[in-house]
Amino acid sequence: MIRVLFLVIAVTGLASALATVLIKNLVRAALALAGFFFAVACLFVLLEAEFLAALQVLIYVGAVSILLMFGIMLTRGVQGTDPASRPSAWRLPGVVIGLAVFALLGYAIFQETGLGTQRAWGAIDPRPAIARGTVEPGAPRRRAINDMGKVVGVELMTRYVVAFELAGLLLTAALVGAVAVAHREDDEPSRGEPSRIPSDPPITTSP
Amino acid sequence: MIELLDPTSPLVWAQSQAVDLGWGLALRWGLWLVVGFLGLFPGIVAYMVWLERKAAARFQDRIGPNRVGPLGLLQPIADAIKLLTKENLVPAGADGLVHLAAPVLVIVSAFLMLAVIPFAVGMAPVDLPSGLLYLMAASSLSPLGVFLAGWSSRNKYSLLGAMRAVAQLVSYEIPQVLAVIPIVLWGGSLSLVAIFDKQVEFGWFIASPPGLLAFLIMLIASIAELNRTPFDIPEAESEIIAGYHTEYSGMRFGLFFLAEYLSVFAVGCLVTALYLGGGMPLPLVRFPMNLLGDSLPRLILVDMVLLAVFMFKVLLFILFMFWVRVTLLRLRVDRLMNFAWKYLTPLAIVNILFAGIWYECVIRAGVLTLGGWLWGWVVTGPLVVFAVWLVVWINRRLLLGGPAGVGRPSLGGTRVDAGAAPG
Amino acid sequence: MIINNYIFIGLLLLAAIGFALAPLLVVRLIAPRKRSLSKSEPYECGVLTVGETWIRFRIQYYIYALMFVVFDIEALFLFPWAAAYAGLGLFALVEMVVFLVFLFLGLVYAWAKGVLRWA
Repeated sequence: MIRVLFLVIAVTGLASALATVLIKNLVRAALALAGFFFAVACLFVLLEAEFLAALQVLIYVGAVSILLMFGIMLTRGVQGTDPASRPSAWRLPGVVIGLAVFALLGYAIFQETGLGTQRAWGAIDPRPAIARGTVEPGAPRRRAINDMGKVVGVELMTRYVVAFELAGLLLTAALVGAVAVAHREDDEPSRGEPSRIPSDPPITTSP
Repeated sequence: MIELLDPTSPLVWAQSQAVDLGWGLALRWGLWLVVGFLGLFPGIVAYMVWLERKAAARFQDRIGPNRVGPLGLLQPIADAIKLLTKENLVPAGADGLVHLAAPVLVIVSAFLMLAVIPFAVGMAPVDLPSGLLYLMAASSLSPLGVFLAGWSSRNKYSLLGAMRAVAQLVSYEIPQVLAVIPIVLWGGSLSLVAIFDKQVEFGWFIASPPGLLAFLIMLIASIAELNRTPFDIPEAESEIIAGYHTEYSGMRFGLFFLAEYLSVFAVGCLVTALYLGGGMPLPLVRFPMNLLGDSLPRLILVDMVLLAVFMFKVLLFILFMFWVRVTLLRLRVDRLMNFAWKYLTPLAIVNILFAGIWYECVIRAGVLTLGGWLWGWVVTGPLVVFAVWLVVWINRRLLLGGPAGVGRPSLGGTRVDAGAAPG
Repeated sequence: MIINNYIFIGLLLLAAIGFALAPLLVVRLIAPRKRSLSKSEPYECGVLTVGETWIRFRIQYYIYALMFVVFDIEALFLFPWAAAYAGLGLFALVEMVVFLVFLFLGLVYAWAKGVLRWA
């Protein structure tokens, strides 16, 4: 049954990924991309990483796709019928580059060798069902899967603490950068002019 | 394809855990799905609409629905029949497929939210280890549906309403998510069942200053997330017709309507489970869980009590929402956005630290003692009051201008001049 | 076990979609369908629609969405921290204060730049 589920999810994911590339209408393409994000979340569930699945839905389907939609609303030619925006000259190089990246990834995945004493992922054995308890109780992997949020928290606070703080810094940098690039202060109504919004009666203590 | 199905193929065997569904589990799920999600919850929602109409009528000195059946009790059924027999209109230029998908997405979001609510002991549809995060993820699907509804209608008012709605929804989602974090901190888990168990030990989480602040932030943010008055700018009738669902008529509009009330119910359940102690009748007195003996009748009795208390709290929450709706006026759009970013978000961030302090004072000890509880109040109470005062003060200061406000950013357009200009 | 729970979620997803689509099917079967030109006009206060609807919106919406993404990710970093807090010491609290200060600075910057002023 799990195999059937995997196939269904994989086929859906591939179909929506293809739809993202092929659909001309930008909003529909972004919707297909959101569908693809959802399929990735389903794959996380199949891998018993439900914490990641929830994050995937929350960030990608819930937040990034909204960002994409608002980004699309900044463009002209949502329907993809605008002749000026058709990148016909780039079609062939685009296909070549895409296939090259695909081949590279495939090569990397199948030629991967294990780190140290570990085996390569490509040569993985049927692994025991961790969460179902064939491994002795309390084993780290089992705990990690049954309460992934907590284990991720512990790891973030101990082993990956520098990365964690750097991520915070990076987020702030992203915010500052975005504000600096996208926000122009001269767009705003200056203080002296009456703003378009009807202002409240002045709040003053003295007449 | 054939290769993928081969059991020795590594691609498939990487996910090898089997799915085993016993008869008991299948029966449970079947009951939840058919009786709960497809029967009871929509029924509750239908009568919430009736209740809201009755309550609003009382607030406005009217009688409300009273024609269809005794007390108008059959009104929801009549409404459903009416919606089912109305023609489905889609504007000519609309994107038909997306126009259909949008209400479905919103409904799915509302339904999925209800899947992890622990109504009573052993009465959560499923208990996910990351349940709270899952719930947030499910609720974050609805802005996408709202946007698609407005965009696909190809109506200027719809699109404007959708843009406003999504900007509002995403702005208020931040304080909403942040207000949940104190609960996770105290519960020590993302599972709603574990959070309920923790509240059985340590009392309702609202009975603490950080918990109260988090509850209030959550309450305001939820009302905004549900697009209800005073945060109903996306549907402001006097400005943009019906906002993002202007072009929805008949049953498709009914789906949006249903989703809205289903979300109200879901948020009521969420707030009850997170802050108001779930089915616990009293804030600090431990419910005699040892009544939960081994015998089935006892279990059923206790669960009945818990469920009744839970539903009573949800009902109070819903009535509160109705009360707010008939009392308060709509906010202006710039103030609405300001309120999310300049009041609620800073408060919610600071509140997380207060929650940490409360944890050290009260919960770290492992048992709830009166001394620890009072000590927690003494320490965090003034901090919370001070934080609220500070945020309000900073905002007022910037709003009013004055010496500190000159040359600084201000909230409104011209209001700074009011103080600075020599009158 | 986890995957079992998610199978319920999957069934619920299908049930919800079915719940939404079933009444639409009923409408298709029993409701009247009379198309007419004026009925399929967009409803814009009874006035014929003028100009293109799918136009460009101003960038402020985009900036708000961007800030939403940043703060959403921040909040999601807080979830595992909060869940693990009981087993961690004071160090974790200090780390989180540092993290929060970074993000608070971002908010203050956006505020000072006037991004949060909805005009």
